Amino acid sequence: MAKLHIDALNKSYGETKVLVDVDLAIEDGEFLVLVGPSGCGKSTLLRMIAGLDAPTSGDIYIAERKVNALAPAERRIAMVFQSYALYPHMDVLKNMTFGLKFTGVPAAERERRVAEAARMLRLEPLLKRYPRDLSGGQRQRVAIGRAIVREPDVFLFDEPLSNLDAALRVSTRVEIARLHRLLKATMVYVTHDQIEAMTLADRIVVMNQGRIEQVGKPLDLYYEPANLFVAGFIGSPAMNFFTGRVERIEGGEALVTGPCIGSVAVPAATFSPGDDLTLGVRPEHLGQGAGAFSTSGMVELVERLGEASFAHVRRADDRLMVAEIRGRDTPAPGESVTLSAPAQDIHVFDARGRRLAATPVNSA
Amino acid sequence: MAEPMSQVVASMPRGRFLALMALFLGPSVAVYTLFSIYPLIATMALATYTTDSAGAYAFVGLANFVTLLADSVWSKPFWNAAWNNLIFFAVHMAVQNPIGIALAGLLSLPGIRFKSLYRTAIFLPTMLSVVIVGFSWNLILSPLWGVAEGALKSVGLGGWFAPWLGLPSTALATLALISVWQFVGIPMMLIYAALLNIPDELVDAARVDGLGNFRIFWHIKLPLVLPTIGLVSVLTFVGNFNAFDLIYSVKGALAGPNFASDILGTFFYRTFFGYQLQLGNPTMGAAVATVMFFIILVGVCFYLFVIQRRMRRYAF
Ligand SMILES: Nc1ncnc2c1ncn2[C@@H]1O[C@H](COP(=O)(O)OP(=O)(O)O)[C@@H](O)[C@H]1O
Ligand SMILES: [Mg+2]
Repeated sequence: MAKLHIDALNKSYGETKVLVDVDLAIEDGEFLVLVGPSGCGKSTLLRMIAGLDAPTSGDIYIAERKVNALAPAERRIAMVFQSYALYPHMDVLKNMTFGLKFTGVPAAERERRVAEAARMLRLEPLLKRYPRDLSGGQRQRVAIGRAIVREPDVFLFDEPLSNLDAALRVSTRVEIARLHRLLKATMVYVTHDQIEAMTLADRIVVMNQGRIEQVGKPLDLYYEPANLFVAGFIGSPAMNFFTGRVERIEGGEALVTGPCIGSVAVPAATFSPGDDLTLGVRPEHLGQGAGAFSTSGMVELVERLGEASFAHVRRADDRLMVAEIRGRDTPAPGESVTLSAPAQDIHVFDARGRRLAATPVNSA
Repeated sequence: MAEPMSQVVASMPRGRFLALMALFLGPSVAVYTLFSIYPLIATMALATYTTDSAGAYAFVGLANFVTLLADSVWSKPFWNAAWNNLIFFAVHMAVQNPIGIALAGLLSLPGIRFKSLYRTAIFLPTMLSVVIVGFSWNLILSPLWGVAEGALKSVGLGGWFAPWLGLPSTALATLALISVWQFVGIPMMLIYAALLNIPDELVDAARVDGLGNFRIFWHIKLPLVLPTIGLVSVLTFVGNFNAFDLIYSVKGALAGPNFASDILGTFFYRTFFGYQLQLGNPTMGAAVATVMFFIILVGVCFYLFVIQRRMRRYAF
């Protein structure tokens, strides 16, 4: 159990910058999820924490100890890989104890740790089996068991669920959350799946192209995304975006017009007439009827999930927007609808994509 | 086990199906029969005959084999050649394959520079003609004009030099080492390819578990490429017990000094074709060839039915 601190970390392969000035402080016992699209540098960051890759510049501290020059085994970390990476020629028991032998853990202590981990993960009946005789979910539990017996300060997970089928993914996710409560260990978990991120994390780090876009609690990211990227990445279906331009400033409000939004008043903030901006509304906040913000279009497709339905609506600028509709009364494809949202649910992003803290006040 | 069969094949008339099989399998069966099975059977058949001074053939059953293995005129050189062949094979197993494995292990380490240069350089001799390799080493090791003695002297080891190819005690081992030098690239390449198949994450997991490069190789990579090492061993065995060209090109068919480097291949050559005062004897030669075939057959069967069945190929 330990703090993890990352200071101005950079990684380049030749000319390609994979990580740019990453700063991160992770609290003792925290479950931190790194999320971002494929190729944004999540695995690279994790591998540098583990000591499997060396940073180009910057420092990593685990439990206040600078670990840059330490080998993976000396960093008191354990890592769970996407492909499980179990040793195929060793049975489950040997897989779990193998590393401990080399770090000088005495036999009695090894046995105690394996027994405990096996009980926690219900691996007892599998101890004598080989990885090839295990299902994907069982293999992943063994891989987690192998991490637990190391009793590390920090657990590192690299997309541990992406090779599992949907049902198993949910149950293993719950398992990992339970383990975190049980072990109270510091965990850094990489995923490209925002549902995994939202459900597991104490805090989420959203990454994009080697940079950290935002760090925050799951619901903070959801309700107060720092910028367009985070707003579009967190939440499924994604937030709808509408472009607009400031017509004039009037009594602390900026009057915005755009191809699909008629005209809307937003807080003037630092806007001046002629500025471009983007408005964002989540599908769940778009309802039928009148509101501060309104837009219209033709329904193309309705996805019925039961607890809600998603109407995909073709709007005036020919792009699709999604509205969440509750209840049995859903619009039919081909129908024209007018959708609206209350003022407090409209996100305003400036021309550089940064979100303005306050929400619009009124419809014009 | 249910045989998967396509709908097209299943609905085919039987005659058409057989014709199709003949079309696809026929050519290879014909070529294989003509050039492999027929000569083998003909050789075995020839081994059961003998020729008199007029050249007429007479069937003698297994008498040639009894002569070869029990009559000391034949059996002494035969067992000498068989024993030498075993030593020739043992040197390859003890030197060529471990070095090949070690080189492959080194090449598969991350961050080695000039990898492909080393790989090519080590593999290059394999592509040279054995005759050229034999001739070159004959020159290098010659006590009269070879560079070996001078090279050893220049590093202060001149006293170590001996005419290795000319001494009965060292000729065979020297020839085996020349062969090792030439062919070490083959086990290296095969094992290198197998090592590349091991996923990176597995090696990463071992590093997190605290293993260094050598222990990763010894505890993780080596056990996972054992099937390939088995294959390399059986290829070495077959190659060694069929060897002939290197000995012939360096020492001639008499495999001197005093038959110290005689192996089954050279022994067979003298028996079948004759050499200097010895007359060629095709039927005894066929008997020697048949025995060589069975030695290799036993070795390969041992590998297939005992070793290979115990080894597991891992799918990653
Ligand atoms: N060894 C390498 N050499 C060059 N580029 C690399 C190397 N490893 C990773 N990259 C690049 O770094 C970027 C980030 O990779 P990665 O951390 O694996 O992404 P993620 O895990 O977020 O999907 C990718 O664009 C990838 O192509
Ligand atoms: Mg990755």
